[in-house]
Amino acid sequence: MTIKVAVIQFPGSNCDLDTIHVLNNVMNLEANLIWHNDFKGDKYDVAVLPGGFSFGDYLRSGIIAAHSPALDEAREMLRDDKPIIGICNGFQILTEAQLLPGALLQNDSLKFICKWIKIKVENNSTAFTNKMENGFIIDIPIAHGEGRYFTDKAEELEENDQIVFRYVDEKGNPTIDGNPNGSLDNIAGVCDLEQKCLGLMPHPERASEQILSPYHTDHGRLFFESMIDFINRRS
Amino acid sequence: MTRVKIEDKELEVDLTEEEVKYINKNLKSNPSSTELGMFDVMWSEHCSYKSSRPKLKLFEDAEKNYDYVLAGPGQDAGVIDIGDGYALAFRIESHNHPSAIEPYHGAATGIGGIIRDILCMGVRPIALLDPLRFGTLKDNPHSQWLFKYVVKGIADYGNCTGIPTIGGEVEFDESFENNCLVNVACIGLGTIEDFKHAPSRAYNPGDYVILMGGSTGRDGIHGVTFASRTLTEQSEEDRPAVQIGDPFTKKLIIEATLEAIKTGYVRGLKDLGGGGLSCALSELTGDGGTGARIDMNKIFIREPGMIPFEIMLSESQERMAFVVNPEGLDEVLSIFQKFEMVHAVIGRIDDSKVLKVYDGDNLVVELPAKALSESPVEEREEKKPSYLDNLIKEKTPELTIPLEEVIYKLTGSENICSKEWIYRQYDHEVGVRSIVKCGDGDAGVLRIIDTNKFIAASVGANSKHCYLDPFNGAKANLVEVCGNVIAQGAKPLAMVNCCNFGNPEKPESYWYFSQSVKGMAEFCKKLRIPVVGGNVSFYNEDEVTKTAIKPTPTIMIVGLIEGREKIITLPFKNAGNDILLIGQTFPELGGSEYHSVIHNIDGGISPKVKDETIEARWKMFRELYENDLVKANHDVNKGGFVITIAEMCFKNELGADLDLSVLDLSQISNDELLFSESAGRFIIETNEDDYDKIMSIANKYKVSVYKIGKVSQNPFIIINGLEKETIDLDVQKMKKLHTSTIPDYMEI
Repeated sequence: MTIKVAVIQFPGSNCDLDTIHVLNNVMNLEANLIWHNDFKGDKYDVAVLPGGFSFGDYLRSGIIAAHSPALDEAREMLRDDKPIIGICNGFQILTEAQLLPGALLQNDSLKFICKWIKIKVENNSTAFTNKMENGFIIDIPIAHGEGRYFTDKAEELEENDQIVFRYVDEKGNPTIDGNPNGSLDNIAGVCDLEQKCLGLMPHPERASEQILSPYHTDHGRLFFESMIDFINRRS
Repeated sequence: MTRVKIEDKELEVDLTEEEVKYINKNLKSNPSSTELGMFDVMWSEHCSYKSSRPKLKLFEDAEKNYDYVLAGPGQDAGVIDIGDGYALAFRIESHNHPSAIEPYHGAATGIGGIIRDILCMGVRPIALLDPLRFGTLKDNPHSQWLFKYVVKGIADYGNCTGIPTIGGEVEFDESFENNCLVNVACIGLGTIEDFKHAPSRAYNPGDYVILMGGSTGRDGIHGVTFASRTLTEQSEEDRPAVQIGDPFTKKLIIEATLEAIKTGYVRGLKDLGGGGLSCALSELTGDGGTGARIDMNKIFIREPGMIPFEIMLSESQERMAFVVNPEGLDEVLSIFQKFEMVHAVIGRIDDSKVLKVYDGDNLVVELPAKALSESPVEEREEKKPSYLDNLIKEKTPELTIPLEEVIYKLTGSENICSKEWIYRQYDHEVGVRSIVKCGDGDAGVLRIIDTNKFIAASVGANSKHCYLDPFNGAKANLVEVCGNVIAQGAKPLAMVNCCNFGNPEKPESYWYFSQSVKGMAEFCKKLRIPVVGGNVSFYNEDEVTKTAIKPTPTIMIVGLIEGREKIITLPFKNAGNDILLIGQTFPELGGSEYHSVIHNIDGGISPKVKDETIEARWKMFRELYENDLVKANHDVNKGGFVITIAEMCFKNELGADLDLSVLDLSQISNDELLFSESAGRFIIETNEDDYDKIMSIANKYKVSVYKIGKVSQNPFIIINGLEKETIDLDVQKMKKLHTSTIPDYMEI
């Protein structure tokens, strides 16, 4: 069967076309760009909330988009066991919509940071990480001003295996040096209890082609390969 | 300032008395205050190019002389055909005065403006580059404030709109302390069909005029005339004339505009920038040979009680004017509705050749459509400054510190050090096109998805060289910026420029402008580089300190790389490879970083350019590249070639063993050899087995190529062969100096 992927376009999304490019041209899927007001979850197997500045990040990153009808559709999809991934601003939207725990605060440097960094896989049983090994180090870029993850339930997340990625240094350790934005416990990505909804600040769509990577890697593909595998196995 | 009596009121306008007389003579009746205000803005230097036009004629007609040029000077942006059905649009312009008064919004709206220019060519903006100039940062809170907020303004605006900032340039010099320079460049990509769909002209009577985007407020009224005056302390009072940007709305405008163009019903498109509606409407109709009837009451205004004068001259940001085929009006409007963009049909195009604006039943503007865009030309006097002869004679003082120490100092100097502090704040990856990223090469390299083609783009200027010799300085800068794209493996395709100079009414300032244009025009003609667009910013002077900025003809070069394997990068790759210096070094320390950092002087003989020599080197490179003989390439710029070599060592923490005795040292002193910034030189890394092949190609083009050493595993640069000293430099120490300078000034 053909996997039906929706990339939801909010006003101000700006990684939407990049994500469509990777899904269609690199992963050879049939992904559709859907305006947020027109999105209907029952037509799709998976939804991607892309990066950008939805509603200009006015008021607070992700908060306005979190009230879009598209998020009600997303909730419905999760109830139907369909996976959802939020990248960067998409992650911010998912936390604001309370589909994921925690919040994304301003970087500790108080500045926007665009940089290739490394993250370590902490949970390879989610819908988007099942093709990765635990402990695997991923080359991937970040580009955000508000990516400092915070939660007052870190222990609970740990116990429930909801911490999916941690920022690490060159040696693969979750140190201060490896933490680009001051995230609590170096957390770069988390999932919901059912492990079907993933949010992360780094950009897999910018790391899915060797030509774009300073390390000539394409680790971003693993997210989408995992997603394909998850959907194929389920059906 | 001229006082004009009109409708029983006395108005102050920036028009000269002659211009007011000219207007009165050429119009059927005396102008109304609104009309006069429109002339005031449209005939300002910024909009009319009245002082610069006579000199800009020196640039060849690019559209006529180059078959791949689709749009040349005079349009909102230059456009070239890069093959495979794609068109590339690009432009550079200044936003100096607003940024000097209010750095954050001044820089942000500069980005907003340049994006609109590209968008109204019908293509998607895909990259930004920003050449910036400030006073020195050290112990200078004012410069630090301007620098910090200009960078933040660019970052916040560019990042939000999803257009990567892929390159730029910064120069720090005292002359820019109060009048900083913020030049902004944008590149757009689309199909040739997209470009042809949406000319910035209204050709068809009956078409609707739609205003879409932000609302019209009182901000930025007279922003244009304000940009055409020199900065004074009173300029602080002009702060309301700086517009406020809204990148979120801009992002929606981009998407809505591109979607509207795809319908095929948009037959004319114009952004509202300097001069607001007056400028957009007069250019659409004047250049299209049509007229228009506009109903002012349809325009959505932000605040009550705005008078026609304010509405016609408002420079509120984020607005576009569309000329739409009546058949497709509903379809186009439904796209604007989808994006929830405010829009209104404000009038229709007709064949009257007259621009008529109604306020209800009152006709408030009735002007021949062309009148506003046909300002009289100002012939300016030019005169070489009297101080120059003495300045050029200035001798290099005796060096009292070791050469090693000089090199360390240069490495960490403001103009040479790493600019990572800046580009980390710019999203330079969005768009998934950035192949050579900020800091990794002399130019940004973008892929054209679906093809095996790559675009290299670089911006730059060298105000210190232009200050001493604007003719050669402007040429040497062209050589340098072209060198940046050549170093990445590209062939330079076209140039756009942004001329930043002082008050053109002063003959010395005008001389600098005139000489720079002459230098650029001559070089471009010789080396077959079409000039496809330009922008002129005069009046960059600070009346408080009574100084003009150093002359700054900034340029952007766009080049093409045909094939992924043809992209060359900057870092040294392998120990044991040869290090070759391309091109001769002359005793040309005038305007060098060495002079300014070590000796604190401005003068001396600055680099000269021989067009033929440069042409030969570029041809040689084409052949070296065709044979895959170059492993790394970096063009020699500020600080001289040792700095170039150090920068090539940094990334992979390699070193270099150099023996300079292969160079002819008889006519040149050690400091001249090491620190001259002679134009058109490169350092390349090559495989030692290829040496003979390379030399035979070099000899064929009569290019001087010197094998000056080898890449070493040890991260040290050892320089032998100089008369008295051996130089031993620690690459790690250099790298630390190189990366810490700006953070040390800017971080608490």
